[in-house]
Amino acid sequence: MSGEEEENAAELKIGDEFLKAKCLMNCEVALILDHKYEQLQQMSEDPMNQISQVFEKSLQYVKRFSRYKNPDAVRQVREILSRHQLAEFELCVLGNLCPETVEEAIAMVPSIKTKGRTHDDEAIEKMLNDLSLIKKFE
Amino acid sequence: MFFHIVLERNMQLHPRHFGRHLRDNLIAKLMKDVEGTCSGRHGFVVAITGIENIGKGMIRDGTGFVTFPVKYQCVVFRPFKGEILEAVVTMVNKMGFFAEAGPVQIFVSNHLIPDDMEFQSGDAPNYTTSDGSVKIQKDSEVRLKIIGTRVDATEIFCIGTIKDDFLGVINDPAST
Repeated sequence: MSGEEEENAAELKIGDEFLKAKCLMNCEVALILDHKYEQLQQMSEDPMNQISQVFEKSLQYVKRFSRYKNPDAVRQVREILSRHQLAEFELCVLGNLCPETVEEAIAMVPSIKTKGRTHDDEAIEKMLNDLSLIKKFE
Repeated sequence: MFFHIVLERNMQLHPRHFGRHLRDNLIAKLMKDVEGTCSGRHGFVVAITGIENIGKGMIRDGTGFVTFPVKYQCVVFRPFKGEILEAVVTMVNKMGFFAEAGPVQIFVSNHLIPDDMEFQSGDAPNYTTSDGSVKIQKDSEVRLKIIGTRVDATEIFCIGTIKDDFLGVINDPAST
């Protein structure tokens, strides 16, 4: 597949299929997997038997790296970020890594500064401020 | 990165499962078959979250098995070249270190670790800066950038770097 060679997340080349798909932040995945785990627990005595290693590792990972724990905060993060005309992928990278400075944000998501986009430093700074506020009041 | 996507699969079902619980049986079999698998194109299938639609079954000649096209929503984990993510260090040796981000393994070679970090062998092998302020060892949390992926039939393996701005250790287990 020729698309495979050109893939580069820094330039947002992740294939059409994934570009259009819904991305999930780690904290959202944690909510989904937790819910599913509870369902399994109700259905059988020993849920560990039922789940795959991939599931288990993913759950551990997203729990460890979730920046926001409570579901309301998670919803707010997505709402704030979605006001800024970001691609789904960019939105989730920012939500996952929570950069503190504009410089850091651009290093994490270089595609935010490519030509044709309207993000200036001020707008990015405002966005980061809003994010850190949610964290503070969680 | 985790994604929520819709995938399609043709499921074959033995006639003994037909009846009132056909749908339940089909979904149970789907979960057993696809959860935990990995493909180069879609990455790791972590969990099925819903069924979109089950198409009309087609009886296969000669066997009696029936094939149903099933569309389902699922959470997948797919690493991309150029993506920056956080990972947990699982093993350190003189060649570099291995880290895990969910189901995927990432290797960071010692050429892609900043030059001021030296390998220290011993009980807990680690990479440390000359002043000892930063240390990478087992269970450290690092932020890294994926620079290459290798796709197997059943696994995706990544090469990463921490030799760039804003990459490196974010949490050292010994210091907390």
